[in-house]
Amino acid sequence: MFPLASILFEVVRNGLPAISVGFLTNPTGNITDPGSGIGNAIEGTLILIGMTCLIAVPIGLFAGIYLAEFGDNKFGRTIRFLNDVLAEFPSIVIGILAFSIVVITIGHFSAIAGAAALSIIMLPIVTRTTEESIKLVPSSIRDAAMALGIRRWRTSLSIVLVTAKDGILTGIMLSIARISGETAPLLLTVLGSGFFFSGVDQPIDALPLRIFTDYKNSNYPSALAQGWGAALVLVVLVLSLNLGVRFLTRGRSTFARARA
Amino acid sequence: MTLSLQLEELKPANSEASAIRSTMEKFKIQTEKLNAWFGNNHVLKDLSINVKENEVTAIIGPSGCGKSTFIRCLNRMHELVPGARSSGAVLLDNANVYARGIDPVTVRRKVGMVFQKPNPFPTMSVYDNVAAGLKLNGVRDHQKLDRAVKWSLERAFLWDEVRTNLDKSGASLSGGQQQRLCIARALAVEPEVILMDEPCSALDPIATAKIEELIASLKSQYTVVIVTHNMQQAARVSDSTAFLYLGQLIEYGGTTQLFENPKEELTERYLTGKFG
Amino acid sequence: MARLMDIGLEKLRNMVLDMAKLSEDTVSTAINAYVQGKDLRDRVYGWSEELRILQDEVSELAIELIARYQPVATDLRFIKSCMEVAYGFSRFGRYAHDISDVEGIFGDLSTCDKTAIVKAGDQAKDMIRVSIKAFTERDIQLASKLKTMDDVVDSAYLEFVKKSARNPGGDLRCTVSATLILRYLERIADHATYVGETVLYIVSGERVARK
Repeated sequence: MFPLASILFEVVRNGLPAISVGFLTNPTGNITDPGSGIGNAIEGTLILIGMTCLIAVPIGLFAGIYLAEFGDNKFGRTIRFLNDVLAEFPSIVIGILAFSIVVITIGHFSAIAGAAALSIIMLPIVTRTTEESIKLVPSSIRDAAMALGIRRWRTSLSIVLVTAKDGILTGIMLSIARISGETAPLLLTVLGSGFFFSGVDQPIDALPLRIFTDYKNSNYPSALAQGWGAALVLVVLVLSLNLGVRFLTRGRSTFARARA
Repeated sequence: MTLSLQLEELKPANSEASAIRSTMEKFKIQTEKLNAWFGNNHVLKDLSINVKENEVTAIIGPSGCGKSTFIRCLNRMHELVPGARSSGAVLLDNANVYARGIDPVTVRRKVGMVFQKPNPFPTMSVYDNVAAGLKLNGVRDHQKLDRAVKWSLERAFLWDEVRTNLDKSGASLSGGQQQRLCIARALAVEPEVILMDEPCSALDPIATAKIEELIASLKSQYTVVIVTHNMQQAARVSDSTAFLYLGQLIEYGGTTQLFENPKEELTERYLTGKFG
Repeated sequence: MARLMDIGLEKLRNMVLDMAKLSEDTVSTAINAYVQGKDLRDRVYGWSEELRILQDEVSELAIELIARYQPVATDLRFIKSCMEVAYGFSRFGRYAHDISDVEGIFGDLSTCDKTAIVKAGDQAKDMIRVSIKAFTERDIQLASKLKTMDDVVDSAYLEFVKKSARNPGGDLRCTVSATLILRYLERIADHATYVGETVLYIVSGERVARK
């Protein structure tokens, strides 16, 4: 409790003064420019999250459903094990992987490389939470649907998945909160930039990167202030995602909330 | 009204009349040497039971005797358990439901099931719960669904209690109401047989009485098979009773006769509570 | 392992057996009083009344057992039979009472020919004894004997009535009193066969068709 409180306190204390409409919408450009803001970093983070979700969520859902419904065999157990290993993988190593595959191929840093790295981090989390949420749906629900003469696949989709959706959504939101703060892979894949989004194959900025870059340039006082401001925005983003999860699962039965 | 219905059934038939009656009565379900296994565990042994049409047949016996497994074989739910298998025939209107080429889904639409613990779909409203069987089998016509939902809820003695709250979550009803909701849900797909696996064990006596009344009213249109560990319930609601022990059929007969004068020693001991 | 209901069933059984013994004594006393010309009416009336009270108690207990324990199969048949048998024993008491009444109404009957009644009376007393034994031991063989024994009493009664019809005359008091008593003995014998029939019902659930 206390560490959390003190971090929040510091971030708010130092970051709040930097916040303004201009700060949130202007691009960084040159760090010494007067109107320098973190608009591009915010935009970058959001774009990266979007791209990552587009890749990781469908694959993760598919894998999670497969493991929950059909994964009671050797193949399933292997997949599950590899999934768990991947979930614990050092993120910088994932960054190196993305670097060597995507960045080298394209020839320079890019958003898509960052999304690739982040989706490798997000995928095992989504898979695991999807599988567990589905498994938490009582078999009596499945039995009831089958007894009504509803086909197996229809049951899985329209009954089981729907019942598990809160848990699955929770898992996705928590994994988004996780990847918004990942810095190491981004260092090796997107480089960062002072400008707004210019294409998926171009470098892009992101909040954690912005914080890091500002730290590197911290001999400029404006950079330091900007860094704290970015940190505040990032913390607010992560907190609101967590609060969103709380809100979604309010009053629900424990199986929606057990995913945390 | 229902009490007089049951008294009607209790009139002692002399043996001649009942012999004639039984050859004229139709059997809705006939099992022929039905066997079932869970892995290597032989749970049902050569069961041959004939369930009469438009009657309530109770299956009684001590825990573990195979009652639930038996009815799950009637609607081909048994095979859904990993490692489970069965052999023998189950004839529904003289057609074997286990015959090659028969789709188990069509069997389950004709033979509905209600479970021990009420299990309405938790994310769906009352309306959606009842309509689920129809909707998820392709029925789109809203008027048809509306009619089916109303009819099913009325049939399940639940309409008056939920008519103003059809959008309320199914899980927000009381236990007894939830079970009637599950019955309505099963009725909506218009089955011919209704299987009930200890439908009242999770309910209080008043809710139980309502369900028993409901069962008595259902038999004019459906054939009901009810598994119960409560002998008195079997005595109250059923017309015929089958006593199973360790997977075998020990005795099967008219409820009144079985409870007043069972033929088998084992049945006598079970009914009078002399089992160890 | 004793069931809760077993205590009640045991109590019911004992009550019925008490009634059995008492009814046997009551009938014997009434018949012997007539044959020997003694006045034992008070005793017989008292016992008959006691039997009626006991029958009510058996009924009460039977209903209580049914309401509380919802008995089935043999237990149910046994309880039902106890109610029927208790009624039978109370009828023994009633008829013994009636036999004693005859003495009171007709006064001194020492001059009458009592051979028919002695014969029928002994048979009736035997039948009571046999029916009680059959009930206590649930002995179907014994119970089936009662049918033939009943025929003896029936024919004694009919014989006497026919004889009196053909040869009217003689002491009217003797004729009427003997007819009445033979009639009561015939009813006693009938009820004893009913007791025998309940034994068959308890053991096998079968019912004998009433004539």
